[in-house]
Amino acid sequence: MHTLTTGPWTPVALSADLPVGTVIPARIPAGSIALWRSESGRLSASADRCPHRGMSLSHGFVRGENLSCIYHGWSYARSGKCVRIPAHPGLEPPEAIRAKTFAVEEAGGVIWVATDEAATTPPVLEGLMPLRSMTTSAGIAAIEAAAGAKATAEGLVVPAENADTLCLLLSARDDGQTLIHVLLKGETTADSRIAASRVAESLRRAAEDLQKKGIAA
Amino acid sequence: MSIQAMIDEWYPVGIFAQLDEAGRNTMLMGEPIVVTKDGNARVTGRNGRSLPVKVRYGHVWTSLGEPKKDLFPIPEADQPGRRFVDVGVVRVRCSPLRAVENFLDIAHFPFVHTDILGAEPHTEVQNYKVEIREDVDEVWATQVKFYQPQAAKSASGGITTEYMYRVAAPTCTVLYKTCPPRPTEWDVITLFVQPLTEELCDVWPWMALFDDETSMTDLIHFQQTIFLQDRSILENQIPRLLPLDPGMEIPTRADMTSIAYRRWLKRHNYTYGAQLVAQ
Repeated sequence: MHTLTTGPWTPVALSADLPVGTVIPARIPAGSIALWRSESGRLSASADRCPHRGMSLSHGFVRGENLSCIYHGWSYARSGKCVRIPAHPGLEPPEAIRAKTFAVEEAGGVIWVATDEAATTPPVLEGLMPLRSMTTSAGIAAIEAAAGAKATAEGLVVPAENADTLCLLLSARDDGQTLIHVLLKGETTADSRIAASRVAESLRRAAEDLQKKGIAA
Repeated sequence: MSIQAMIDEWYPVGIFAQLDEAGRNTMLMGEPIVVTKDGNARVTGRNGRSLPVKVRYGHVWTSLGEPKKDLFPIPEADQPGRRFVDVGVVRVRCSPLRAVENFLDIAHFPFVHTDILGAEPHTEVQNYKVEIREDVDEVWATQVKFYQPQAAKSASGGITTEYMYRVAAPTCTVLYKTCPPRPTEWDVITLFVQPLTEELCDVWPWMALFDDETSMTDLIHFQQTIFLQDRSILENQIPRLLPLDPGMEIPTRADMTSIAYRRWLKRHNYTYGAQLVAQ
């Protein structure tokens, strides 16, 4: 198993993929999370399970500064505290009703989530512009082989043939998949971004082929 | 998990009117079974073993064990003037017990069945009565009231609907609800759940309604719409098994029916599809 040393931080998504007032599912080594952005733009990460009936919170909805479960509308603040139980509108929810939360940081268009209360900050990625994310069944070793380059401690791979334009930020997920954030270097145009996206897709296919042939072992 | 306490119960395994000689290959509590018709219905288990059969409420019922009692009664099934609706089957990747518990819940209506069975801001669940009726050994919830924008296919506009819920068997539940065209009667909607495994079930809703206006297709579509909305919840609950011990999930006053259902299951050791702390 290839280990990256981004400390407790996992790059879970790109900022552009989480608009204001939305929630998406994501994964960190501790399991599934609900990643959401309030209407005022504040970012939060909570365990992907409503403590009421176990429903996945990433299927829920954001209203104002709270995340609500889609099953019974129980609402959670950024702190994880339950603030509203619609079946009992007059009831102040007990303190004990909480969704577990995780530290979350956003830097350079990438959203990072920490598995523990981290005093550190996530790695800084200088001069890189996020383009898109994709998941693959290929492991990190297979992606390195396809790219002809080794990953840095932060999980950055600069593909040998596209070293001037492209950089991949890798994150191994607990379900065996790898999340790839495609980052661009320098000035770009619409055409160069499309071209870079295609290069990244080819690399993913090549890595998956290598994975199937067992070269990643 | 224990299959033992639930093995002698009757379970639905198909719609009688849809059976043919070719038969239907399905499963009951992990055992492959075949449901066929040669005049009456026939159910065959592993190694050609003949299983007990009943045809009732539009469905074929069977058991892997030796049923000690008759299938639970639904007197409305013999009442003249009702229309009987075989809604069909919905396969759900969840515990059969979770499917029943969801059916007993009204607080989700505004969020899951939005603008049909519920709508914000009408989210409050008033107090209702729950009991385990010892004489018949069933869970009952009565005086359940909820505001509904469109309670039934035959309802026009919002009304406060009254409900009664009844758990008649570990995986079978019957709902009695306000009947818009006949205020003195109850519409009957059931959920018969066939446990395929502990984490997979076929759900067979069945209805006995007073409604001479709506077409059979529309009645079936209405109920299927509702249940498909429920499925999107049921397949995304964690854990997939129903937790019977306190601690995993947090109930409130609105969940009194589900609390009683879980207690009743535990008391009878009806734990096929359940998760216990000890596990």
